[in-house]
Amino acid sequence: MKTIRSLARALSLVAWFAALFALSPGIALAQEFQKVEGALRPELPSVPFVAAAYGFIWIAILIYVLAVARGLSKVRQDLAELRRKIDGAGPRP
Amino acid sequence: MRSVGTGFLVAATVAAAGFLLVPRLILGAPIEPVMGFVQKIFYFHVPCATMLFLSTFTCAGGSIAYLFKGSEAGDRVAVAAGELSVLFGICTLVTGPLWGRKAWGVWWQWDARLTSSLLLELMMIAYLLARRYAGPAGRKLAAALALFAAIDVPLVYKSVDIWRTVHPQTTVVPTLDPRMRPAFWSAFALITVVWSLLLGLRVRLERARAELAELRLDADEILEARL
Repeated sequence: MKTIRSLARALSLVAWFAALFALSPGIALAQEFQKVEGALRPELPSVPFVAAAYGFIWIAILIYVLAVARGLSKVRQDLAELRRKIDGAGPRP
Repeated sequence: MRSVGTGFLVAATVAAAGFLLVPRLILGAPIEPVMGFVQKIFYFHVPCATMLFLSTFTCAGGSIAYLFKGSEAGDRVAVAAGELSVLFGICTLVTGPLWGRKAWGVWWQWDARLTSSLLLELMMIAYLLARRYAGPAGRKLAAALALFAAIDVPLVYKSVDIWRTVHPQTTVVPTLDPRMRPAFWSAFALITVVWSLLLGLRVRLERARAELAELRLDADEILEARL
């Protein structure tokens, strides 16, 4: 309980400073874009970048879905096996 | 074990319809005159970043319920949302540089928005690592980390307004060309539905794991008594 209370105190302190920092008008310096140093100039085709971005998102989501579905099916199998074992052990003495 | 719910099936159907409809809307939206065709990455980059923020807040909410009320359900939601933060964070951090390479000429710039986003992603990876490898206290340590990550979210969002960055400011979405809005908001809705589906699926897995762990404990006692 003591740890949780000190954690809550530390968090509220951090939150307070973060809010102060974010809301302070005195540090709102950014009104223009920063210049990029050493940029590569040659004109690049856009299509490969767009295709790579979209492809990456859908492949990442698909891999995640497959991983979760595999985990779910494994846990369901284990549950069924355990239930069978309990039922197969016969009636209570 | 619960069967697949009606809500889950409806959401899956909406997502499937979205996969067919949204790319058409995005391709049909006007090409942005300054950046050209590469700006189309925006339609999925922004929703992914928003899901990163939403997942982090959800993870922190679940962590608060677990830390202060001992809620196991809260912890299950937290771990599911924690994984989604990492997933959508990776999507944001990969699609951003792909856009930046074409639009700015560089893959990466250590500016406030990009650096703070990377920091948020690292915090959420630390959350998952703490849960897995920090031993018996890992869940509590990870929950505390999630709270710090949630505090970082407003800073990531406002960073483009506070510091000078290469990244566009937060005014982009409110001032979006009206002809681009249907594509943007439909992509946003699609990603939100996908996020909800993934969260539901992952919470279901966590619930099944808890059920299995409980049954294992009971089974040991039952089998011992019967032998």
